[in-house]
Amino acid sequence: MAISFEQIEQNLKTEARKLLESGKVSLVLAYGRGYDENHPMPYVAKHPSDVDNIVFNEYCTANLARYLTRYPRRTKIAIAAKAADSRAVVQLIQEDKVCREDLVVLGIPVYGMKNFKTGEAIDSKTTGGLSNPVLYDILLGEEVHGQPVSSPYDVLAAYEAMDKEERWAFWQRELGRCIRCYACRKACPMCYCDPCFIDQNKPKWGEKSPESPGNLMYHLTRFHHLAGRCIDCGECSRACPVDIPLYLFHKKVAKDCEEMFGQAAGMSIGDKPVLVNFRVDDSDKILE
Amino acid sequence: MSFEPKILGIACNWCTYTGADLAGTTRLQYPQNIRVVRVMCSSRINPSFIFRAFQLGADGVLVGGCHPGDCHYNTGNLYARRRLAVTKKILEFAGMEPGRFRVEWISASEGNRFAEVVREFTEQIRDLGPQTQFKISQ
Ligand code: FES
Repeated sequence: MAISFEQIEQNLKTEARKLLESGKVSLVLAYGRGYDENHPMPYVAKHPSDVDNIVFNEYCTANLARYLTRYPRRTKIAIAAKAADSRAVVQLIQEDKVCREDLVVLGIPVYGMKNFKTGEAIDSKTTGGLSNPVLYDILLGEEVHGQPVSSPYDVLAAYEAMDKEERWAFWQRELGRCIRCYACRKACPMCYCDPCFIDQNKPKWGEKSPESPGNLMYHLTRFHHLAGRCIDCGECSRACPVDIPLYLFHKKVAKDCEEMFGQAAGMSIGDKPVLVNFRVDDSDKILE
Repeated sequence: MSFEPKILGIACNWCTYTGADLAGTTRLQYPQNIRVVRVMCSSRINPSFIFRAFQLGADGVLVGGCHPGDCHYNTGNLYARRRLAVTKKILEFAGMEPGRFRVEWISASEGNRFAEVVREFTEQIRDLGPQTQFKISQ
């Protein structure tokens, strides 16, 4: 069995303290205690004395890469990044939102994170299902090996098999429940536009009241904006107060992008996001 | 009353729009169901244009651009190709009939082809019937 959560927490504290004391970074993005054990919250440690507040347990699901873009460029930041989070970091570097040199990535290999709402294990059904970070400077623990790998796209089969009327009804039902709290966009590390297209008034892209047509416009466009960028952390669906399975659509788009363009999001710093890239020999077939 | 499809055409200034012009000046007949909006390049097309068009009652959307390699801005349509392919997949997964959205490369000299594509697409949409899924009821 690999390393325990307590050990990771200890390592995280040690490294955070070292980094802050040496002045290598000015802040450490990690997790702190929420209102109880099962609800840890994102926490920013700015002084060595803050480090004691850091926690890490199986409910620390939030994707901290979300907060990277909030700080001015050139801020030196250390970030605790689990597998999916590290992909978000890579993706943000690809998009030139953060600089590699400004970051210290504290990689956390994980297995068995849990959804704080349901207590269920989070696996490749709702996320990319990776256990080791793809990018890190310091690894807090040992890489996990021998975990069963299943394709993150397996869950899609049932939905792809539906005929279009059924799928339409399914999404109408799901997206129809959206209350437009925008928690999905707040939780998403890739949603950093200010203002978001849906908040614009001129042009007005979609209705803002929580009703089906506007919901559809918001979500479809959001899925499109995240095409080839979504790193499948599943945070949007966990943040959703009405439990819309947004991850399904994101996975589908990610799968299509991978099939069409042969590259998954956030896997290597050298890549270019697929939609700001092209190949002259892309086939016209993809448009059929 | 028989159903007359409402089709939004989004055409790039340098090829498809000029092609449409040519179709006009050579007096080729094509259905009037298409309303063409001119953009400077197919890469100008924000996918939300397409979603929005469907919401506002378009029965079909036809996007026209230069042939890959011929874009006036060299690479615009190569980006657009990827982007619109994703748009298509999204519409499909949301549950729309795939035939309602189409991308065609039509050059400035292909007036004939423009007329032909519009004719064909209009017929196709006529067969599919009115688009009601996305449409916002007013
Ligand atoms: S100018 Fe025609 S597609 Fe770019």
